[in-house]
Amino acid sequence: MSDRFIRWCRSAAGITILATILLAVAASMDRGPYIIVNTAITGGMLALVAIGLALLLGVMNVASFVHGEYFMIGTLVAYYVFTPLHNFLNTNPSPTLALVAPLIAIVAAAVVGAAAGALTEIMVFAPMRRRSRENWVMNSFLLTVGLAVILINGHLLIFGADFKGIVRYWVGAPVTIMDVFISRDRLFAFLLSLIVILAFWVFMKATRTGRAIRAVSQDETGALMVGINLNAILIFTMALGCSLAAVAGASLLFLYPSYPTVGLEALYMAWFIVILVGLGNIIGALIGGFMVALLKVLTVEYIGAGWDFVVPTALIILVLIFKPSGIFGSEVRGVLDQ
Amino acid sequence: MNPFDRLLKQLNLTPAGVLGLAVLAVLPFVPPFNQEYLVRWLISAALIAAGAIAFDFTAGYINIVNFGFYAILGFGGYTSAILAVNFGLTPWIGVFCGAVTAGLLGFLTGLLTLRLRGIFAAVMAWFVGLALMGLATKMVWLTRGPLGLRTPRLLETASNIPYYYLILLLMLVTYLICSRVVTSKVGIAFKAIGQNMDAARTSGINPTYYRILNFTLSCTLAGLLGGFYAHYYGILTPDIMHTSKTVEVLAVAYIGGRGSLWGGAAIAFPFILAMELVRSGLSNLPGLNLILYGLLLILVMIYYPGGFAVFFNTHVRNTKNRALNYFLNGAAART
Repeated sequence: MSDRFIRWCRSAAGITILATILLAVAASMDRGPYIIVNTAITGGMLALVAIGLALLLGVMNVASFVHGEYFMIGTLVAYYVFTPLHNFLNTNPSPTLALVAPLIAIVAAAVVGAAAGALTEIMVFAPMRRRSRENWVMNSFLLTVGLAVILINGHLLIFGADFKGIVRYWVGAPVTIMDVFISRDRLFAFLLSLIVILAFWVFMKATRTGRAIRAVSQDETGALMVGINLNAILIFTMALGCSLAAVAGASLLFLYPSYPTVGLEALYMAWFIVILVGLGNIIGALIGGFMVALLKVLTVEYIGAGWDFVVPTALIILVLIFKPSGIFGSEVRGVLDQ
Repeated sequence: MNPFDRLLKQLNLTPAGVLGLAVLAVLPFVPPFNQEYLVRWLISAALIAAGAIAFDFTAGYINIVNFGFYAILGFGGYTSAILAVNFGLTPWIGVFCGAVTAGLLGFLTGLLTLRLRGIFAAVMAWFVGLALMGLATKMVWLTRGPLGLRTPRLLETASNIPYYYLILLLMLVTYLICSRVVTSKVGIAFKAIGQNMDAARTSGINPTYYRILNFTLSCTLAGLLGGFYAHYYGILTPDIMHTSKTVEVLAVAYIGGRGSLWGGAAIAFPFILAMELVRSGLSNLPGLNLILYGLLLILVMIYYPGGFAVFFNTHVRNTKNRALNYFLNGAAART
């Protein structure tokens, strides 16, 4: 066992994970434990968005530029569901509803996100796939670019450019962990991300549909041959990936008020994670979420806000030079070539 | 073949193309286009047209979407502007310095990503663009950040018309360079890589080499256009590097027809003017023009991948009428 552990420590994955943990510990001893707490909260949500993106890359081979917009849809739905509930609560208080209202908003966001994802697959990707499979990666990427433009400006056109945010989901005193005050919203966001990731994991490993999705990601033709309904799986995968992003958006509404380009940062971070860990690597995306969150927190802490676009790019350049298949490697359809 | 036809053939132009350029040249004197604000629209359309040619040179031939196109264009512009502001270099030399640095940046980005799948280059160029925009915003001591860097203008005139001719000339030069390259032996290699990578490699083409060559040239041209942008508008803000600008050029290039070079340029003028009309006419509906962009891009991608160029080539160019055929295809097609 120790032999295997040492070998793991010397692999790229081991080195990065250990270095991340060391960095996190060192930074918290320097500036205080809130660094670890902040990392954990941002990381969970980043991981949700990145897992969705990795899923689309792995299963459908779609390099999605529109993924941040499902995050935006999540914030928007949560805002329009939660605000009326909140106003209703102001006039006639009810402790049960106060406890459940945020959950209703988040579930509504998840449902709408899934519906939007399924619609996208049916209306945009399916016609494209029927037409031609040639240069699929680039063409589908361009489709998502067009879709992102439509969704961002559709938001602007229908809902306006102002910030649609809420103060908090849950009322109550902040919780204290390791001498750090954490608002209930943040704590809940972290717990929710863990629950969703766990549920996603169980779903992918233990259910028939999850197995079918993994089969499609490994070999589409083979999956067809053993009788998997490919179209249904593709629609379902898209809905699942988009729903994860919408959940992340909805549960972070107190941090990111809804406005047209709110998804851009989530998109950028998700892409950064996915390239860092290897295209389509889902476990990698999970770990990468936390690593990138730490990087972001440290950048803002030590260099200043606004540099969080520069530092990740520099790091990606290093990764591309030394290990283009990503830290954890990519098993999806080769990194080289088309 | 008379000398005129031979010249046209060498320049990859058709009589129709020459007529189009002539129309564009007299346009600022024809009402209603002889108003200053419409000339400004024409200039921005010509800039997009030139950008679409340089963009299509990469996207249409080696099938790599340069998603940081405007960031690299802005990088060229900033280089030229900073040289002019801090060192007093005349913009006429500065724009070429800008082009060279933009080309160098493109070369480095390409060197890093073009040996990998095409999507890496697209995403990496996007990241580089975001990082450049962040740097331009944050390095206030050099770029004055979001306040904008005041730049000396290329010409000492208040009129827009000389600038219009300058950008038309730049557009023509961009087209001539790109079309010259794609009709040469190198261009065949580009097309082979864009169509089938494995077949190209089997035929002894080194994909990485040609892709980097193509990418660098495209970025150099972008840098040149950036220099024009910087010294025409007289003010440079980090907004020039925004992804939405790249999307604009991308949409025009794809709607015009990928792999045709001229398609994007031809479609840019009516398209940009129409979009400006939509934007200024329906200002109570913000973002509508961009929604139209996105919709058109998606529809063209799914249902008519060749865009305007394929439509023109199949439905208009194939005419039996000899005079019209000469007009549309030049002398070469007749023989």
